[in-house]
Amino acid sequence: MKTYLLASLTLLLACCYVGIVGITFAADSDAGEMEMLIFPENYKPMPVSNGGTISGVVKFEGDKPEMKVLEITKDPKVCGATEKYDESVVIGEDNALKNTIVYLIDITEGKDFDKEAKLEIDQKECKFTPHVQIVPVGQRLTMLNNDRVNHNVHIFSIINTPVNKQQTKTRKKMPLAGVKKAEGPVAVKCDIHGWMSAWIAYVPHPYFAVTNEKGEFTLEDVPAGKYKLGYWHETCGTNNESPAEVTVEAGGTVTQEFTLKLK
Amino acid sequence: MRIRTIALLFLLFGILAVFSLAYAQNAPEASERGKEVYENSCAHCHGVEGRGDGSAAENLLPKPRDFTRGLYKIRSTEAGQLPTDQDLFDIITEGMPGSSMPEWETALSTNDRWEVVAYIKTFYDGFKENENPPKQITLEGKISYSPESVDIGKELYVELGCVECHGNVGRGDGTSAPTLTDSWGFQTWPANLTQGWTFRGGPDTEDIFKRFIGGIAGSPMPAFEGDSFLNFGLTSEESKRLIELENKDEMTEAEEEESGKFYEKMDAAVDIALTIKEGGEVSAAEIQTYNDAMKIVYEKSWHLANYVKSLMPEKQPEPAIGNNVLRSQYVQGELPDFDDPTWETFKARYFPLVGQVVIEPRQFNPTIDGVHVKSFYNDTEVAFLFVWDDRTHTTADETDETTGKPLEDALAVQFPVKVPQGPTAPKPYFLWGGRLPVYLWHWKASMPEQVTELTAKGINNAEAQEVQGELEVKSDYTDGQYKLWVKRALKTEDKKDLQLDTGVFVPIAFSAWDGSNGDVDTKLTMTSWYTFVLEPVPSSRRFIYPPLIALLSIGLLFGLRAFVQRRNTEEV
Repeated sequence: MKTYLLASLTLLLACCYVGIVGITFAADSDAGEMEMLIFPENYKPMPVSNGGTISGVVKFEGDKPEMKVLEITKDPKVCGATEKYDESVVIGEDNALKNTIVYLIDITEGKDFDKEAKLEIDQKECKFTPHVQIVPVGQRLTMLNNDRVNHNVHIFSIINTPVNKQQTKTRKKMPLAGVKKAEGPVAVKCDIHGWMSAWIAYVPHPYFAVTNEKGEFTLEDVPAGKYKLGYWHETCGTNNESPAEVTVEAGGTVTQEFTLKLK
Repeated sequence: MRIRTIALLFLLFGILAVFSLAYAQNAPEASERGKEVYENSCAHCHGVEGRGDGSAAENLLPKPRDFTRGLYKIRSTEAGQLPTDQDLFDIITEGMPGSSMPEWETALSTNDRWEVVAYIKTFYDGFKENENPPKQITLEGKISYSPESVDIGKELYVELGCVECHGNVGRGDGTSAPTLTDSWGFQTWPANLTQGWTFRGGPDTEDIFKRFIGGIAGSPMPAFEGDSFLNFGLTSEESKRLIELENKDEMTEAEEEESGKFYEKMDAAVDIALTIKEGGEVSAAEIQTYNDAMKIVYEKSWHLANYVKSLMPEKQPEPAIGNNVLRSQYVQGELPDFDDPTWETFKARYFPLVGQVVIEPRQFNPTIDGVHVKSFYNDTEVAFLFVWDDRTHTTADETDETTGKPLEDALAVQFPVKVPQGPTAPKPYFLWGGRLPVYLWHWKASMPEQVTELTAKGINNAEAQEVQGELEVKSDYTDGQYKLWVKRALKTEDKKDLQLDTGVFVPIAFSAWDGSNGDVDTKLTMTSWYTFVLEPVPSSRRFIYPPLIALLSIGLLFGLRAFVQRRNTEEV
């Protein structure tokens, strides 16, 4: 009798164990994490003369998702002055895909950042512009607010310190401290106006471009050589697993097209 | 020579002692014991790997903390900093009010709690990588509570935009409240500032101050640290003037220039603050500017903390347990109307509500904490005033996805159909009756001037009465609070109604729905039975009989004494 009891108890425990392990593994496989940009471990700025250019177009393939009109639940006078759309996929004429980051994955030497470039995100009419912003590591990003309503700038960094600051209605410009590490893209939100959404990529080198309405991108002053060319799009994902290979010749121009689908 | 050596030794010992004392404030290295305690006591909610995904997590809101991102809500440290070991220890020891995190002081030894602190820290590498101890928020210069301080704080509450989420009077009903999510994408509600006892990190002014300066990491609550503070670098007067200028529709040229100067001053101060944050070099004069600006930030933050403190009662209203009788007071003539100030003179009974978890669909994450009730009656009628907080005004505009039924706020007041005779007589089942039926008043936010009378024999077995009695109903929703006024005759013709008699103890219970929290059907918050009584009017004869009896007794005593004395003297 005793052995029987012991055996059944052991069996029960074993079942529990298997169950728990099973659940844990299932949870693991479910966790679909946001794909990130790939950065070189070290990057050394140096003068580049007679560099080449990489340019091209990013296009969308497949059934075009309809752009959702955002529900303006707050401050309708300011925020609802014009209709706002969900910008997670913006497709222009000829299937051009806007807001895609195109960049060099494995560059370790090249030009320095343009230190004079204005780094800003505007919060006009309760919408972030641009939707995707590249920010060099260590440089300050200035948040603009001419809306005369309160916003809060919430940057969901994981590697760097997350930011959550109130930008009150009288605060037209709010610069944010430069970050220490390359990261991203990370989501930007305004908790006060829940529909506001943008992305920031903190980058260690200047070979990053964001596609415009025509899906175009250009990377200039690239030292001659062979590179891996990556892309990132918030809804369509990345080509991290099989980046494009490009060979840049001194003074030359190479073109590269990407066609992206919904994940 | 020898003395010097001894002195040196003493000094060394002293230093060692100080160091070891300092060390005692910190958690030990992570050990097997910490892992064991964690897995036995914490992993069910926080997950074996600390990701906040334990088996119980699904039904909890607020969700258990995910320890892998280093985001801790309750800290004594500045914005963006990790908590101190002591912070973690305190949370484990004291628990987090208003959430599912219990206190562990009774269940775990001090040593075990420290072991758990050390183990939790292994889930996030940032604890190891950070060589410098986290910077703590200084509590020096605290401004004590005063009406003046509260007034300044009240102004700041609006200017800083606290109202956006916490609402006009702090009930967590701001217009941004319904759309808030935390850093993991889960819905989260802003604190109801009038309920200090639900504050995760405690309701003391110091606690409020720390949450404000340091922010609540992982939640939408920003950190109002230095450089992002309203008009950083300006004096209070300058700040006031700038707000005044900014609020003008159009500025004159001189005013433009004036505000421009303010902005320049602000930009310079912010630049210094950011340079310090980035680890850049600043001059002594710049540090002075920074310190002056920070002093103002801290002063204002104390005023704000005092204001928030002023919004809550000194202590949690005592639940009507023990003394659980709701007493209706007799008045002669007309009963006080909905907005009659007479209601204010009378203290409410508070009935805490809990989620209904007996029958599917259940409510594990209730948002309505309790209902305050007052009552008056006269010779023919009884009137009730029910008051409860609800962050949103939901009036059946949306429908529940699973049931297709409209979501709306509602309240039900429950009585038995027949009052149990005597204290041992059975009451109907507390959950809307069973074999013994209950009689209910069902009020819905979409029909604010109406109450439906129901008879129920179970929560899924309720019917509107065929004959709806003449109940007078008025209600209001302002700043995150419902007020409902119901008046009914003591006696009605309808046999299915409860009939009320003076001095009879009647069971009473409450159910409430918060539509925006997905409350519908049995997904609700509720109480068990309490007791209601029409307090008998003390008879005016009480002024005649008791004194008369007292006089008689005294007279009798004196008589007796005289009698005994006389007998004694006779005997002698």
